[in-house]
Amino acid sequence: MSLDFAYFPGCAAKQVQKEADTAARAVCQELGITLNAMPRATCCGAVSLRETKPAFALAVSARTLSEAEEQGRNIVTICNTCLQTLSYANFRFKEEPELLQQINGVLKEAGVRPYGGTVQVNHLLWVITDKVDQKLLKSKIKKPLGGMKVAPFYGCHNLRPSEIFPSGDAGEKADHLHRLITLMGGEPVSYRGQDRCCGFHVMLSDKKEMRAMVATNCINAKEAGAEVMITPCTLCDMAMGAYQGIAEKSVGRTIGLPELNFAQLLGSAMALDQGRLGLDRLHVDPKPVLSSRGVI
Amino acid sequence: MSEETYTFRIQRNTPTGNGRFDTRWQEFKVTLPTTSTVLSALEEIKARQDGTLTFRQSCRSAICGSCAMRISGRTRLACKTQVGSVARDKVIEVGPQTNQPVLKDLAIDIRPFFERVRRVDPFLKDGPESAKKVTKTAYDQVNQVTQCIMCGCCYSDCTMAEVSPAFLGPAALAKSFRFVSDPREGMKTERLEFLSQPDNMWSCSRCTMCVEVCPKDVKPMEAIVKLRTRGLEKGLRSGVGARHALAFHEDIQQNGDLNEFTLMMRSVGLGGTLAELGSALHLMKKGKIPSPFPHKAEKLGELRKIYDILEKNPLDVETKAAEIVPE
Ligand code: FES
Repeated sequence: MSLDFAYFPGCAAKQVQKEADTAARAVCQELGITLNAMPRATCCGAVSLRETKPAFALAVSARTLSEAEEQGRNIVTICNTCLQTLSYANFRFKEEPELLQQINGVLKEAGVRPYGGTVQVNHLLWVITDKVDQKLLKSKIKKPLGGMKVAPFYGCHNLRPSEIFPSGDAGEKADHLHRLITLMGGEPVSYRGQDRCCGFHVMLSDKKEMRAMVATNCINAKEAGAEVMITPCTLCDMAMGAYQGIAEKSVGRTIGLPELNFAQLLGSAMALDQGRLGLDRLHVDPKPVLSSRGVI
Repeated sequence: MSEETYTFRIQRNTPTGNGRFDTRWQEFKVTLPTTSTVLSALEEIKARQDGTLTFRQSCRSAICGSCAMRISGRTRLACKTQVGSVARDKVIEVGPQTNQPVLKDLAIDIRPFFERVRRVDPFLKDGPESAKKVTKTAYDQVNQVTQCIMCGCCYSDCTMAEVSPAFLGPAALAKSFRFVSDPREGMKTERLEFLSQPDNMWSCSRCTMCVEVCPKDVKPMEAIVKLRTRGLEKGLRSGVGARHALAFHEDIQQNGDLNEFTLMMRSVGLGGTLAELGSALHLMKKGKIPSPFPHKAEKLGELRKIYDILEKNPLDVETKAAEIVPE
């Protein structure tokens, strides 16, 4: 299977959550996954653009999908919201050929190559757990997690709505994060929160509520025994990780649960260079847990 | 038909006065065909094992909405859910709906749910915006949300309702859309004004849980997205949520990427940004402040052209209900 992708990191990974990007690149290099730049691709627009300008939102997605198609590659992303936005547009184009035709009419008029509807949108996590040879992946785990209790936090837009994602990867049956944790030598923690919301998208409009979501998810994970939490999404990273301290103040309780992007923990288990994994950029230092389990 | 012996772990809630409950989990073993419904299993348990088990049901046909309860981690209709599809290692966990007070065992007080639906005036109002003529396709939007049976599954699993008792919730918002999109409705703008207030349409976190759990495929969040579009079209953009959403199409045309540096200023204004300074300092400690000059995508001119074309000739791309053709 070809592991040559058009890479769509998303806005957060280009700026605030850079570490997810550098960690993803480091892991991909080891696993023989090629990430090709998409110089023309823009912000996916998230659900916000669908609200303000629904037709423009679909055209923006079509333009991005078309760029990947022109490269002859499928898309891989490390942001759940980008995953959902591009998959949603792709799903509608497949279900509603007339809609694609209309949008392509606009693209053509603007001098953009029309989209032929052939691109698949993947999350890097799915590629690693379902497309990479699992024996190869296992052989790369040089520093297994030694039974570390890891809370999987999937993030909403990795799971829902399941109808827009390839079967088996989404909805309540999704278990890719669990499988990755087990493969790394960790123990997935079961807690109320793994499929719930990090609140990122209401971070500014409903601050108190967003912080309560972060705190509830982290507290539930911690009380279920989690030593660290991992997510496949740069936005969940920002909420559950960078905002955890802010959430602690808001609910008046210390939590202190190290939160990492899945690629950062995977890279650690693969004994990759710590600088590239950006472990120093995390708000709750994961290094004490990692070293207590012999990972670093 | 293949039969299995399932273990039902059922949450028993016994009121002990003053709104308190004695809560425990009780296990029952039942042998059933894999295609039986959870509701038949509960009836079997009540008839043969413990007559005190309390739950609601009526139509047994996924139409009255009485039997919504938490089954294996999601709120579902017990009469529509086959045991084989929700058993995990032959165990099925059953509890009452969440986000609403329990009365006994699996029965909850559904008043908070209906109180929210009532808040949106769930009836057509006469007024200046009533259409005089109704076209063939006028009900395409209305028909998307009229399948709602008011079972409360979406509200029970709503991640925003869990942290915010003030939130209007998915069903009441979908119900609002039913009226806002109805050509006969006369007070569309007034409704959108109400919905633009805090804790209403802009407080949905877009987690998409309601779309996933709705047993009738109403897709409440899709209705919420459409309500927001209509609110913005009416110029209702004073809230943080609305201003935040508006930042996106500006940035995409100008830079391609989001300007996260100015996003906060534009969403919450100067006062809000100053109030956020504590958070900003916290983020700054780890170098997590976005650059004011985000990377620019190539061929940005294309985006501006696309934008202008669509502003001149708007395209209606909203999802619509399939036309209902009588047999
Ligand atoms: S009993 Fe009426 S919906 Fe289930």
